[in-house]
Amino acid sequence: MGKKKQKSLSTKISLWIVLFSGLIFLAALGLFFNESRLAVQKEAIKNASLILDNTIQHINTIMTEVTVAAENMDWLVSRHLDDPDSMLVYSRQILKNNPNLNGCSIAFEPYFFKNKGLYFSAYSFNDNGTILTTQEGNDHYQYWSLDWYQLPKLLDRPCWTEPFSDFNPDDICSPEMIISYCKPLKDDEGTFIGTFSVDLSLRWLSQTISAVKPYPNSYSIMIGQGGTFFVHPDSTKLFYQTIFTPSLLEPDTAMISLGHAMQAGEEGVHELEVDGNDSYVFFKPIKDTGWSVGIVCPAKDIFSGYYRLINSIFGIVVVGLLLMLMIFSSIITKQLEPLENLAYQAETIASGQFDEELPESENNDEIGQLNNSFRNMQQSIVRQMEELKMANEQKGRIQGELAVASGIQRSMLPKIFPPFPDRDDIDVFGRLTPAKEVGGDLFDFYIRDEKLFFCIGDVSGKGVPASLVMAVTKAQFRTISAHEASPDRIISRINDAMAEDNESNMFVTLFVGALDLPTGRLHYTNAGHDAPMLIGNTGAGMLPVDSNLPVGVMPGWKFSVQETMIDPDTTIFLYTDGLTEAEDIEHRQFGMSRIKETALELQGKRIFTPLTIIDRMTDEVHAFVGEADQSDDLTMLAVQYTKHNENITYQRSLTLTNDIKRVPRLNTFIDEVCEANGFDMASIMQINLAIEEAVVNVMNYAYPAGTKGDITVEAKSNGKEVSFVISDTGKPFDPTAKAEVDITLSAEDRSIGGLGIHLIRQIMDHVNYERADGHNILTLIKKMTTES
Amino acid sequence: MEVKINTQDTVTTAQLIGRLDTPASQEISGDFDNLMNYAAGTVILDCTELEYISSSGLRLFLSLRKAAASKGGNVIVKAINNEIRSVFMMTGFLNLFEIRD
Repeated sequence: MGKKKQKSLSTKISLWIVLFSGLIFLAALGLFFNESRLAVQKEAIKNASLILDNTIQHINTIMTEVTVAAENMDWLVSRHLDDPDSMLVYSRQILKNNPNLNGCSIAFEPYFFKNKGLYFSAYSFNDNGTILTTQEGNDHYQYWSLDWYQLPKLLDRPCWTEPFSDFNPDDICSPEMIISYCKPLKDDEGTFIGTFSVDLSLRWLSQTISAVKPYPNSYSIMIGQGGTFFVHPDSTKLFYQTIFTPSLLEPDTAMISLGHAMQAGEEGVHELEVDGNDSYVFFKPIKDTGWSVGIVCPAKDIFSGYYRLINSIFGIVVVGLLLMLMIFSSIITKQLEPLENLAYQAETIASGQFDEELPESENNDEIGQLNNSFRNMQQSIVRQMEELKMANEQKGRIQGELAVASGIQRSMLPKIFPPFPDRDDIDVFGRLTPAKEVGGDLFDFYIRDEKLFFCIGDVSGKGVPASLVMAVTKAQFRTISAHEASPDRIISRINDAMAEDNESNMFVTLFVGALDLPTGRLHYTNAGHDAPMLIGNTGAGMLPVDSNLPVGVMPGWKFSVQETMIDPDTTIFLYTDGLTEAEDIEHRQFGMSRIKETALELQGKRIFTPLTIIDRMTDEVHAFVGEADQSDDLTMLAVQYTKHNENITYQRSLTLTNDIKRVPRLNTFIDEVCEANGFDMASIMQINLAIEEAVVNVMNYAYPAGTKGDITVEAKSNGKEVSFVISDTGKPFDPTAKAEVDITLSAEDRSIGGLGIHLIRQIMDHVNYERADGHNILTLIKKMTTES
Repeated sequence: MEVKINTQDTVTTAQLIGRLDTPASQEISGDFDNLMNYAAGTVILDCTELEYISSSGLRLFLSLRKAAASKGGNVIVKAINNEIRSVFMMTGFLNLFEIRD
């Protein structure tokens, strides 16, 4: 395949080169040939004209000689008219003096010489060098009736006759065709007395003319005034045919035009077809005769050298071009050979065998460069593929790890809903939709000591770094809130832990709330997070939040805590900016207004359970976002406080001063309450123990030594459980904030303190502390059905 | 609340009678300080007549136990009722003391 392509490429290139060279040659040669043809033609015309001029000159010379000879003899004849016999001498004398002449007649009118009778014409004839002389007139040769005698007499001037054949049966005469120069002889009175005639052999003239042969196949013609051929190589045409004769059979305007031009005594050259050959006919008149001499030159003779040149050049060009084709083709094939190898190897590489060894090219030309570039590219590809393979493996590993991390992160979030199926005072639902495998959003909640601790947060950034911070934040929330009930302190401690050595400058917007379930009192701190919404029976609105820095920005930041009462049925709706800033395909944001609209709509329908709100918000945001990619984690948390005042069936209270000695009074009170509510002896003792511990704690810690104060214990029962609310006006003291004691330690390691709160937790079903309106309020609840 | 201490050789028996609530604990803390002196030997806390124990009482027990541990002695809690046993259970005291019926 590659071979074929490459062959055709070399052939193609060579063909193009040769084609273009051929075209250039053709154009140059065309111009050259045209110019040289014109030059050759011009030269030929010049040459032929010169030759013709010479010939005519020669003929004219001869004829002038004849004329001069005749003129020279004329006066002798005129002087010796009295001596007829001297005429014979004169005629002989002329031939002697002029060897070119064929004959000479000095003929007189009948009876001019009385003594010579009717005829007297002295005639001499050059018979191949021998001059014969006679008196030629006789009864069979009445010369005065002949043209040569009559023409000068009639014209009264010297003239040349047409060629004619003399015939004198009784005497000598020229056997050849002759032409004669005839001159009238006159006496002193000017009376015509005879004709002086000098003959030229037409054969001789013809030879003279025919000797002119500028080209091998050229020939000469001479025509008379009537167009009759006097000289022509084809003797059959002589005297019997005119230049117009062929035109009678086949009209030939060129020939007719030539004939007319020659007849008219013009001088020139005509180009026409003669006897089937393209010819040039050069013609010129002979003066005083009306005759015209022509040289017929076949064009191919004229241009023979030129044609030979053309043929040679064409031959050289064609052969040269063919050679060029072959040489170029072979050179290009040879030059392209590395390309062919490269193509073959490229195909091998393309088929996936990347380890195919490419030879390094030593040539420094483009193909060599290509070869080396390709070689580099191949090595690059191999390297890149190795890297890609490694990267893919690494990516796969990272993906696997990410999947595990994602699972771990999901498992860190509360995922059992409803989370408190056995409680009727609280309903919580939360949902986190990560944008990536792992994300930086978090939420959490749990109940400790009748308080719902909950938080929602958003770590700056995304991905693994954010997820790590998220995990840490969530863990710290749990750890710190385990013995720290106030949101501001929880957040402060998370902040201090995080802001210290925060080299990555990550931070978290965090909202922490602690909802006191018995009372519905909400303490909360917002560290730069979106303000939650409250949706309740009376309307929907934003929970006012202080502006605090996000967690992790500045160590030691004093976070403010806020407080509000949550009415029964009210839902606290918390979310991250994944909801407000959810973008549709045109980058418009979902925005607070849509959240409020949806919340108001749900509020209007009086359906705002946590699940409904979050489902509805999720649907709305999905409908809004449409095809766009989720750009950020989307987290929502809703907490609905569902506590209703229950029917109190039993209520008693006791107020004590802060005196340890009052404890037995307390025990009596508790015994009475417990007995009234049907607790067994064991439970009564335990409840006593718990309440005593709580009250003694207040006496010991809320009221510093030496101060007086009251402690009120209020016992209530709704038939299912008994609650003991211990309140005092002492300094804030939260027994639930104490760390748990470890009861598994050995005696040496155990501390003396901490047992009290431990026992309280162990004995009571719910423990809850609240600081409200300057009161420490500790609520202890014991279910009536748990122990018999 | 009444405490009767009876020492025979290295064994000291303290009979605890009544309710050991918080004020009672303050009341008898002197008796327990006294008991610490015997902590190198065996101290038996006889709870046969102990009706109730508060965490203050538990703290007295634990202090004695710590003193015994440091002096190489032994504290035996004898005959606790079920209610106190459950308190001992909740507080991990069952593991700290040798309990005898």
